[in-house]
Amino acid sequence: MSRIFGIDLGTTNSLIAMMDGDTPRIIRDPHTGAALLPSVVALGPNGVLAVGARAVELEGELTDGNQPLASDSPSTEVCVIRSIKRYMGLGGDDLAPEERRRYPFAELSGPLVRFRIRERVYNPPQISGEILRALKARAEAACGEAVEKVVITVPAYFNDGQRQATKDAGRLAGLEVVRLVNEPTAASLAYGLGNMTSGKVAVYDLGGGTFDISILSIKEGIFEVLATNGDTHLGGDDMDQALVDLIMRALPEELRHERGVWTKARTAAESAKCQLSDAPSARIKLELAGHQIDLTLSREEFEKMIDRLVARTMERCRMALKDAGLRTQDVDAVVLVGGATRVPLVSRRVAELFGRQPLCSLDPDLVVAMGAAVQASVLMGKQGDMLLLDVVPLSLGIETMGGVMERLIHRNTTIPTSVKEKFTTAVDKQTYVDVHVVQGERELAGDCRSLARFKLGPIQPQPAGVPRIEVTFMIDANGILNVAARDERTGLEHSVDVKPSYGLTEEEIERLLEEAIDHGEQDLEQRLLIAARNDAEQILSAFSKQSNEYPELIEPKERTRSEAAAQRLSAVLSGQDRESITRLTEELNELTTPFAQRIMEQAIKQALQQKSVDEIAD
Amino acid sequence: MCARCGGPLAPELDLFAALGLARRLVVEPTELERRYHDLGRRIHPDRFASSSAAVKEASLQGTALLTRAYRVLRDPMSRGLYWLELHGEKLADNNKQVPAELAALVFEVQEQLAELREAQDRSASEPLAEAIRAWRAEVQAAMEQAREELGANFASWDEGRAEAANLLPNLKATLAKIAYLRTLLRDIDRELEPPVLSG
Repeated sequence: MSRIFGIDLGTTNSLIAMMDGDTPRIIRDPHTGAALLPSVVALGPNGVLAVGARAVELEGELTDGNQPLASDSPSTEVCVIRSIKRYMGLGGDDLAPEERRRYPFAELSGPLVRFRIRERVYNPPQISGEILRALKARAEAACGEAVEKVVITVPAYFNDGQRQATKDAGRLAGLEVVRLVNEPTAASLAYGLGNMTSGKVAVYDLGGGTFDISILSIKEGIFEVLATNGDTHLGGDDMDQALVDLIMRALPEELRHERGVWTKARTAAESAKCQLSDAPSARIKLELAGHQIDLTLSREEFEKMIDRLVARTMERCRMALKDAGLRTQDVDAVVLVGGATRVPLVSRRVAELFGRQPLCSLDPDLVVAMGAAVQASVLMGKQGDMLLLDVVPLSLGIETMGGVMERLIHRNTTIPTSVKEKFTTAVDKQTYVDVHVVQGERELAGDCRSLARFKLGPIQPQPAGVPRIEVTFMIDANGILNVAARDERTGLEHSVDVKPSYGLTEEEIERLLEEAIDHGEQDLEQRLLIAARNDAEQILSAFSKQSNEYPELIEPKERTRSEAAAQRLSAVLSGQDRESITRLTEELNELTTPFAQRIMEQAIKQALQQKSVDEIAD
Repeated sequence: MCARCGGPLAPELDLFAALGLARRLVVEPTELERRYHDLGRRIHPDRFASSSAAVKEASLQGTALLTRAYRVLRDPMSRGLYWLELHGEKLADNNKQVPAELAALVFEVQEQLAELREAQDRSASEPLAEAIRAWRAEVQAAMEQAREELGANFASWDEGRAEAANLLPNLKATLAKIAYLRTLLRDIDRELEPPVLSG
């Protein structure tokens, strides 16, 4: 089985990691030795110019199309995008005013934010995909092996659309995203590895653009999330912005919108923030648009500026504790994650709230990627008893009569989880039922976030209320919603064509993958062929492993037919005929499905057999 | 058919079996957790990341059932509600009727809450809030008592005395009481500490 890599796709920086024996190891740039890849992408009229450190350099050189310009068209050939994570899976309405203003070339009116640079249009998953591509290239150069499968971390508080967008980014980068893992949970894995203590742990994760708090119960290798809360628009970036505002106030009004000013001010702000973590004061001295700025800021003043931001995170911590049914004194350990936790005020407030000194023995910038690598090795079957049980961060429901949200799955429910709901028609001879799925904690569906709409049907025309359609809402281990529908009377499965309210449709992804050909990259057909081969190899190896391990569960006839199908598939596997590979893969999958189900049933039965004899007799 | 009371059973709903437990209402929490973790380790989708689509799907379905079973059986209230469901009963959707023995308490608390709600000046209403806190303790005590009743009811089922002791109607009444007290406690807390709106 090919190796799975762990990726932390951060707002400010991204990393890729792998397991080196039993220890997670960050893969560094083979040329520069850098662990962090700045999540910065430079785009030109002909496509991507640079990603990471080189994009940061371009940003410095540029006459800057990024600042809030007075005119609305970017006049430069290069556009540099930072913090793309803040735009993932969101529409213009979801953005904070600062984010709306930030890129004059962003199109905010559609259901999904897009960036238009001359004739080219980019969506956030594409831009994130470029970061993933750079990480993939780094790991391939450093390790000399192909990177195909990855675990990617996401903020625990990411909604369905944001998660889906992250998965799309992986696909667009030619990666199979085996699993999305919540960042604070990943961090807890990195801390918990080789240190299998039991207890309640709070993970406080303040990154560049997002904040998460997760409360976990750890017991004999089971990492069970009890509750999570957060804010996907709150992070170290906001602290920088407070300092940018301070610098801007020192600049005459008419100069604030000059080219290059915002980028320079931001760089100075970030460096001042970092200085203030170690020193009692920082001097901000720079030249902006020919104007000299010279400010001295004490840590105390800085803390006053960011106090409200930090207070917001504390409120979220209290909410998570309440949902977990715990008091602060029940928490056995507090872990700090994310670069912004280096700000002394943050760790002080955390210590005050929980009444104990937080742990930060692992580098807060690296720990999430390390955890992603640990989860990758769990998925490769290499971590014995370790298992992660995460939760869905936000309630999921449907819009009912009067626009009320009916909650079907409550926030902080352990995933995977499913719920069945029955639908019927409201008027005679109605042939379709519309279903609107929303996510959030508000009472009215309109105040929650729209996830998807779909139509059930066609239904045979019948009097109102007679048809019975059972819809299963399943949230998988990635926190992503899947929908299936079945007609209760006929037992027929309905196909459910879910139209994501904010995500990319399947067709859009296909189109983007096709477009990639124009970039002179890997040929699409070639890529599809590789994907088909991967699927085929996976099922072949699963079948051969299972038929060896569970020979008693496969009937002789079934075995003969399945093995014949497996042979046919193996015969075409190395060829170029993708359609045959796909068709034979499906055939083998179908033939072995009953066998696979028997294995699953047996696994459950075996576990049941551990119960004591008197219980069985009961 | 339920072996204990002869009532109808819905087999596909057997959450006890999903955790390998006999159908008993008294559940040892540590045992429940142990079984949940044990089964989770075996059937969770993370164990089948490289298996075929069918195995993945079976693992997903199995784990979803397992987590549901754990969630429902862990909490005595939801376990009781599930037991009602197994016996073809449920609590009324709109649980507005005040259980008789709680009437006096509920009336008093609601009145004080209404008064507090109308009080414009929160600082002047501090004595009122103090009085409500005292009432909260009473409601909490009633809750403890109802929980004990529930525990006793559970034990009686397990002893097989369903018919003799009228256990099903008792269970229903006790659950209704707990549901009512729960709402009341939430109302009190909401009034004493208005919740922060989450985004």
